[in-house]
Amino acid sequence: MASNKEVIVRFYRFQNRLKEKTAGLAPGNASISAEALEEAEQALGKMAEDYPDWVSGIIVKLKEQHGRCVDSPEMRRDCFEEINHMAHDMKGQGGTFGYPLITSFADSLYGFTVQRPGEITDNQVELVKSHLDAMRAVIKGRVSGDGGEIGKKLTDSLNQAIEKHEVAD
Amino acid sequence: MSNYDFDRVNILLAEDSPFIRSLLVSSLKVLGVGNVFAVEHGGDAIHFLNRVKTEPIKVGVQQIDIVLSNWDMHPIDGMMLLRWIRRHKDSPDRFVPFVMITSYTEPERILEAREMGVTDILAKPFTIKHIGDKLISIIERPRQFVHTKEFFGPDRRRQKIPPKVERRVLTDKSEGVEIIRG
Repeated sequence: MASNKEVIVRFYRFQNRLKEKTAGLAPGNASISAEALEEAEQALGKMAEDYPDWVSGIIVKLKEQHGRCVDSPEMRRDCFEEINHMAHDMKGQGGTFGYPLITSFADSLYGFTVQRPGEITDNQVELVKSHLDAMRAVIKGRVSGDGGEIGKKLTDSLNQAIEKHEVAD
Repeated sequence: MSNYDFDRVNILLAEDSPFIRSLLVSSLKVLGVGNVFAVEHGGDAIHFLNRVKTEPIKVGVQQIDIVLSNWDMHPIDGMMLLRWIRRHKDSPDRFVPFVMITSYTEPERILEAREMGVTDILAKPFTIKHIGDKLISIIERPRQFVHTKEFFGPDRRRQKIPPKVERRVLTDKSEGVEIIRG
């Protein structure tokens, strides 16, 4: 095996320790029991019920940060960092719990609060509020899925706010 | 056909969103995974793995079997964690299966993770079934590790598809090939 010649590639082949641990040494494939899967799906369903509350909690915190931006402009940079962080938390899993609109609004909020050089303007602070309002409307109205007409309206009005503020800046 | 028993499996989970973290922990627990060690970001994961190496009794685990990590985290993200695990001299197990959780599913992102030696990708939003499928794939279809000048990680070829163009194919007996078994 090992020779004096230069090695170009090494292949590492190990015993399947994980298989021994989880399925024993008996031949044949094992599976995850249907009951376990079912139980896990139910646990996920239960968390989905809590999802609107969780989002509402974050919106309250985001609102506090927004208030700080309005009251103390010198703290805007720090606040935006906090806001950016929370938006990132929210955007990941909205789809799983039936609220893709939360994901898309949080994604937009995340995108525009990423730190960049220059002063953070009143317009940008106002835009945070537009996002919070849109998210709150989604949760308050339990607007799941794409939200149909209401969802479209919310998305359009948020997009309008974004355009308006971009022009103003 | 029997059922898997994940009771002796130790999973390290790095996820910065508290909600997703608790979601994943409870999903894994319900699937029967015995030990889930959850940390907030890649830096904490590295710290934890270091402790597993230096003081396993205190941490309560000898070896982590699977690492499940979010990609986008602050300050140390999933890619930095993956790089550390696969390449750093202090890494306790450079071969540990590593599943990256991500909503980045663009091909170039997946490729980037693959080149860094990721074992599998769990795309967001995920379902319990996706998580279960990843566990089964890791258990049933482990890949050999490949170490070349440019790459270290699980074999990037999952399927045996003959190359379309004529090229040099290394076999176990070719010169320059070393097989290490364990």
